[in-house]
Amino acid sequence: MRWLIGYEAQRKRMLARAPKGPLHDFLSVPFPLLYTPVDQIPILAVDFETTGLDAIQDKLLSVGCVELIQRQIKIGTSYHQIIQTQGSLKADNVTIHQITDDQKDQGKPLAEVVAALLKMLAGKVMLVHFARIERQFLQQACIELYGMAPVFPIIDTLVIAKKKLDKRDVAYDPSELRLSALRAKYQLPNHYAHNALNDAIATAELLLAQTSKKNEDLTLQQLIL
Amino acid sequence: MDSALSEISEFIQAIPPLDLLPSNIIEQIVKEISISYVRRGQSLSATNNEEANIYILRKGALSYFSEDEKLLAKYSEGEICSAFCLSQHRHTPPNIASDEDTLLYGINYNNFQQLIKEYPDVIAYFQHTSEQRLNKKMLQVNEEAIVNSSLLNSPIDNFYHSPVVTISPNKTIQQAAILMTEQGFSCLVVADNEHPLGIVTDKDIRRRCVAQGLSIKQPVSAIMTDDMTTIDINSTAYDALMKMTQKHIHHLPVTANNQLKGMVTVTDLMNNEGQNAVNITSVIHKATSVGELTEISSMIPKLQIRMAKLGTTADHVGKSISAITMAFTIRLIEMAEKLLGPPPVPYAWLAAGSQARQEQFAHSDQDNALIISNDLKPEHGYWFKDLATFVSDGLAACGFIYCPGNVMATNPQWCKTQKQWSQYFFQWINTPEPKALMHCSTFFDLTTVYGDNQLLEKVRTKMLKTTKSSTLFIAHLSRNALNLRPPLGFFRDFVLKQNGENKATLDLKHNGIAPIVDLARIYALSEGISSVNTIERLKQAAGTPSLSTASAANLVDAFEFLSMLRMVNQADKLQQGLQPNNYLSPKDISKLEREHLKDAFKVIKTMQDSRQSTY
Repeated sequence: MRWLIGYEAQRKRMLARAPKGPLHDFLSVPFPLLYTPVDQIPILAVDFETTGLDAIQDKLLSVGCVELIQRQIKIGTSYHQIIQTQGSLKADNVTIHQITDDQKDQGKPLAEVVAALLKMLAGKVMLVHFARIERQFLQQACIELYGMAPVFPIIDTLVIAKKKLDKRDVAYDPSELRLSALRAKYQLPNHYAHNALNDAIATAELLLAQTSKKNEDLTLQQLIL
Repeated sequence: MDSALSEISEFIQAIPPLDLLPSNIIEQIVKEISISYVRRGQSLSATNNEEANIYILRKGALSYFSEDEKLLAKYSEGEICSAFCLSQHRHTPPNIASDEDTLLYGINYNNFQQLIKEYPDVIAYFQHTSEQRLNKKMLQVNEEAIVNSSLLNSPIDNFYHSPVVTISPNKTIQQAAILMTEQGFSCLVVADNEHPLGIVTDKDIRRRCVAQGLSIKQPVSAIMTDDMTTIDINSTAYDALMKMTQKHIHHLPVTANNQLKGMVTVTDLMNNEGQNAVNITSVIHKATSVGELTEISSMIPKLQIRMAKLGTTADHVGKSISAITMAFTIRLIEMAEKLLGPPPVPYAWLAAGSQARQEQFAHSDQDNALIISNDLKPEHGYWFKDLATFVSDGLAACGFIYCPGNVMATNPQWCKTQKQWSQYFFQWINTPEPKALMHCSTFFDLTTVYGDNQLLEKVRTKMLKTTKSSTLFIAHLSRNALNLRPPLGFFRDFVLKQNGENKATLDLKHNGIAPIVDLARIYALSEGISSVNTIERLKQAAGTPSLSTASAANLVDAFEFLSMLRMVNQADKLQQGLQPNNYLSPKDISKLEREHLKDAFKVIKTMQDSRQSTY
């Protein structure tokens, strides 16, 4: 439990070291309290499309996010941006993300996109499906841009699902934990995958379904990574 | 737009009435969306007690209940729940709960109204009542029908010819013949100083003069038909056709304020349209054998298809088919009389049910009866039995199947004297037993097809006097009529019944049309209205204690809409060579039509409920 309480302490410590600018602004807003009930947690659902799984070698291609406030996904807050990266895209990735070199060139610089994302993320909990990618790529980007990696309180829909499956104590296929498989389990409609914004919305919908049961007693503490 | 959001916009753009909006407005609406998730069994009003929202169901299902917990509607994927926006809910929020885990797109209603403010059709959908929406739809349908159909609803004014050639009654028959030849007319109006006395035709000269050996020097008044049938200038071509068919005449003097204005002939009507009801009736009159009639009868389905495709209103199609059935019946009776000799006593051939109401479509069954003068002697029975058998078999040969309920002139029960018919009605009205009530829907809709019209009218006048004052009978009739309830609407691809159950098919007749026919009959009988056609009954009952003017108009709209849907459905089936019926699969009903149907059901339900509270 101690490491949980540590989020706020870490934020304050890092704020003191952070250079003026987007990262400093982000760290200056307090994170939601751990006993915040689930329907009161300000959430930003985030999804990244990348050229690969390695945050150091691979590149961030696009960012999509949308706010989930008081159990309502606000489409008006949605943000989707393609990032200008050096080097041409690997062909197999292009087919997954359908971001072509041409489109990528219309993208915005990484600094601008990360700044925008941090601004939206301030005071909120980040919601992702399979946190490793988003956390590592965002931290790497921050290191490149600001020289330090901040902390992010994160809710991971994959982890929520995994905990539920583990509790049952029966073997399961890891593919059951995919976003589309979990959505199907909750009878959520099919979505057009591999667009960052679309996956962010899809993740937010999944969280609504996952947390709809006992929403009175669920708090951030039970959900946070 | 972003491809993620385009998925949402494509979804909502397919939903009527949002399909009427351009993409840029849809994009702005998408930005207003808040996605929420409602667990099964959760109440929607409890979770969202802020400002009014419209909800688009992305997945799942909602049920809408009245304050007394009665199911009012269900919503499923791709439907809009606007119950929270209705003004009556300003104070008490509607009772809506989710039947399944439901994903909702909520949109603030005030912001939404701002976005659609330049699209009156979309605004109308959200702000208008069922009645208003249905009325708008029918206005549009009727306008199209007027543009599309030429003959039946065009006024006589369009094709009568004038002036009429008149001749004074003291002129000789020969002078009349000379005048007709000179003018090229087959008919003259006999008039004394413009005051019409009668009509004389080619046929009269042949039948009443030449064949009888009457001197051509006799005055023309000796051979004229003096109880001249005329038609008012404000009537439609259809009215003229009905009069001509009924009286078996080809000339109709047209009058305005009882002043002779001109003449309309069957040829005038025929020239006005190609292959139509008038042509078919005219061919029927010329047929000399049942075989010929059978051949002609194959044109009826084709006519119905054609009229339906032309966008003719169901009212006019029903009237045309009924007029044709009438012509078949009359021709068959004429053939029978030729075979059997003249009737021993006066009688009339009656049509019952949909034919009497002039709401008949192709392939309907025959409902008929005989009313005979009270002078009937037991030995005359055979003549009428033979007549009934000949006509009924003939009609069957022409595709009008025998009535499954045996409501036919061949049934001794329905071949009765005037006095016996009066007794029937007296009995039905005074002891309204279930079986008696069953007959009501058939025999309270009667019309004379052939013979002495007065036989039935006297019975009817007496009957209407009784029904008007018999509250018990009206109460029984109402209770009986209320057994047929329209569904609430649709749920996914099912028909949603009032008890919340689902049904795979919609029965347009029993779930929609028949309840209105029943209501119209009740209004007519309680107000002493002699019309049998449903629309006429409703129009005449409008403004009486039984029915407000606004409610009458709503019922007419609902009736016309449902009849139109039935007609189009039947035309489709006929075209595919299938047996037409009254069933529609919800899968085949467009989203827009479903909305109109729901509105029509609501109109019926409202009127049935008010009927129920009256008795």
